[in-house]
Amino acid sequence: MQTFYFAIVILALLAIVFGAILGFASIRFKVVGDPIVDQIDKLLPQTQCGQCGHPGCKPYAQAIANGEAINHCPPGGEATIKALADLLDLEAIPLDAEHGSEAIRTIAYIREDECIGCTKCIQACPVDAILGAAKQMHTVIIDECTGCDLCLDPCPVDCIDMIPIEVTPVNWHWQQPEQLIATSSSPYSHGAPDHA
Amino acid sequence: MRKTWNFHGGVHPLENKTQSNQLPIVVMPAPKQLVLPLSQHMGKAGKAVVKPGDYVFKGQLIASAQGFVSANIHAPSSGYVSALEERTLPHQSALSGPCIVIDTDGKDQWGDLNPTIDPKLLSKSDLLYLIQAAGITGMGGAGFPGAVKLQPKSSIHTLIINAAECEPYITADDRLMREYADQIISGIQLVQQLLDQPQCLIGIEDNKPEAIAALNHALNQHMNIEVCVIETKYPSGGEKQLIEILTGQQVPNEGIPADIGIVCQNVGTVKAVFDAIVLGQPLITRITTVTGKAAVNAGNYEVLIGTKVADVLAFAKVDLIKTSRLVMGGPMMGFTIQDTQTPIIKSSNCILAAADLELATVADHHSCIRCGLCEVACPAELLPQQLFWFAKAEEFEKAQDHNLSDCIECGACAWVCPSQIPLVQYYRYAKGRIKALNNETQLAELSRMRFETREQRLVDEKSAKEEKRKLRATAAAAAQAAKRAANPTSADPIAAALARVNKRKQEQQTATTPKSPEEVYKELKTAAAITRTKLNKTSKALTDAKAQDHEQAAGLQETVIALTTKAAVAQAKLHAYETKLGLDPEKEKILQVSVAKANGTIRQLEKILATAADPKRIEADILNAKATHEAATQALADHQTNLTKKPTSAQES
Repeated sequence: MQTFYFAIVILALLAIVFGAILGFASIRFKVVGDPIVDQIDKLLPQTQCGQCGHPGCKPYAQAIANGEAINHCPPGGEATIKALADLLDLEAIPLDAEHGSEAIRTIAYIREDECIGCTKCIQACPVDAILGAAKQMHTVIIDECTGCDLCLDPCPVDCIDMIPIEVTPVNWHWQQPEQLIATSSSPYSHGAPDHA
Repeated sequence: MRKTWNFHGGVHPLENKTQSNQLPIVVMPAPKQLVLPLSQHMGKAGKAVVKPGDYVFKGQLIASAQGFVSANIHAPSSGYVSALEERTLPHQSALSGPCIVIDTDGKDQWGDLNPTIDPKLLSKSDLLYLIQAAGITGMGGAGFPGAVKLQPKSSIHTLIINAAECEPYITADDRLMREYADQIISGIQLVQQLLDQPQCLIGIEDNKPEAIAALNHALNQHMNIEVCVIETKYPSGGEKQLIEILTGQQVPNEGIPADIGIVCQNVGTVKAVFDAIVLGQPLITRITTVTGKAAVNAGNYEVLIGTKVADVLAFAKVDLIKTSRLVMGGPMMGFTIQDTQTPIIKSSNCILAAADLELATVADHHSCIRCGLCEVACPAELLPQQLFWFAKAEEFEKAQDHNLSDCIECGACAWVCPSQIPLVQYYRYAKGRIKALNNETQLAELSRMRFETREQRLVDEKSAKEEKRKLRATAAAAAQAAKRAANPTSADPIAAALARVNKRKQEQQTATTPKSPEEVYKELKTAAAITRTKLNKTSKALTDAKAQDHEQAAGLQETVIALTTKAAVAQAKLHAYETKLGLDPEKEKILQVSVAKANGTIRQLEKILATAADPKRIEADILNAKATHEAATQALADHQTNLTKKPTSAQES
């Protein structure tokens, strides 16, 4: 009987000790912020376009962390959905067409002759990529434009165009070769090297 | 004989060098037009310093380097700048880019040259400046701005001169070494001087015995330069491979040779260094091999940078009909060009005009059979097969984990592939996508930062506004309190204001004197007149509406009825008041009429008097009439006096 009480006392002591350690650890090693939201935010394309129905990427990241579907981001497209699915251990689902379709990336271009300098687009730009002052012509800092097209609607004279990013020798890259063809008549030859 | 090492893999494609290395270098005269792309190398494009219409001398600076990794461009011949425009670039993408176009005048007249008589006296910074000013870029193929490599951060113990020229067909360096061995050795000495006299190893494949002999002949025993003959194997001319062959050391992953104390320069580059420093000539020409079965006069040509491929082909008598494919660079690493207006640039070492069947056609490729030949051939010791799967499945992260970035795109794997899979193209695709994705990630990071900064700014602005508003409110309250303190009688401003208003109201009430009967009468008259006018107007509108069968007619009808009653009431009120006052407007009217009548009679009589034959009688009549008029006026005046008097009495009564 004594052994029985002894065991209970030992277990109780252990529980107290470990409880104290855990309690201490939870305060001492507390993780500041919500890292999962930041991780999700990192995967989003940061266009801040609001097509997902949230005012920016961070709020959508928060919403995903709270259980919203991961397929509401058209600029990110399939790649983002796949990355999010990997991170959150979910199934990759197709893009929700309700929020828009995956389009090529564009940047805003202000036709400067027509700009009346109303500053409305400057206020709309989520990343402060438009430069200008009242009654002065505005212009887009193209390196910083995310192509969210939020500046189009506020423009009273419709002088903003969304144009696809120009392909230059700097940003050009090779395309994937055409897919393998199952049958082929061409014989294997070592005659001359080539894949120029 | 120095000990050499071997690198993993490598292949032995047919050399095909004898077609072009038999004849001496031929200097091609200046063509009619030169096209000089502003970007001929990695890094930033140069900035044009001439404008269309300018006359330029041979060797004159026409575009200046922008930043560290950039190079100057000089006019290759004298003539007029005819345009600054977009032209097709000698680039895999076949895209166009900004070029300076010069129409040559045929005089080929040099501008001022500053040759150095004794280069040994030059300081390191002078040497570096001259190399930079001459616009020297790597002549081997990649075209990296030369001065960058020559100012390493760490100290250099070995300078390696790349004379391997391992790629089939190309013999430009071979001929250059045979004919300019002395200049090359002098160039090497200048580079050694710049790098604090490291030992120099010239790596050259054993398939160039004449070039080896020429170099050895140019060397003397005291020089710290050694010609190292190596086995002919592709791609021994790859920078990392040549370093491994000559020193046994490997360049670290994602590192540069300078990390292990080595600098590697192409043999053509050191010749350009010699020209730049000793002769004072900037880099405006290069040796280009024109070869292939379609080239009648296959050989090496000294061409001006900017010469169009079409001009070179014509000069080398290339049969364009026989040409099935034009390749710039060698068959292993070059790229097909479609547009023969593309210019030769500083890194264009070869133009291969291939006839039918000379190069393998772009064949249908088969599935990978996992034979592993590619792994055996890979000089970078990568796993080409794995990389192929990853590139195909777009699993770029895994491809990076398998060191895709170390791939030198030599093409050995594709050359040995029995399924003829265009492996290099897959790797180039994957590399391009990875670069693009990295750029996107960077942009996303920037956007995220800017978005967050903006949000913070908006919040700050809002709180600042709120703060300001609060400050204003407290200031206003303080001012009010101060005012109250100064004027203690009116304790409560609102009560005071109310009291003031009430007081004024009372004053007004006491001040209003009762209206005089005349005023009341007048008001009643006016009211009656207004209602009459309104009634008239509305009646008219009603008739109009009825005439046009307007839908408002019914409404108007009601208004008319209402107005009629109103008018009657107003009239009745007026009448009642008149009766009360004892007024009789009818009588007044009659009196007025009689006055007017009398007046009229007088006027008439006076007129007649002027022309009458019997004035006396008429004068008497006039007197009568005047009496009548007076009486009538009197009566009217009496009546009016009554009017004014009576109301007062009425009021009193």
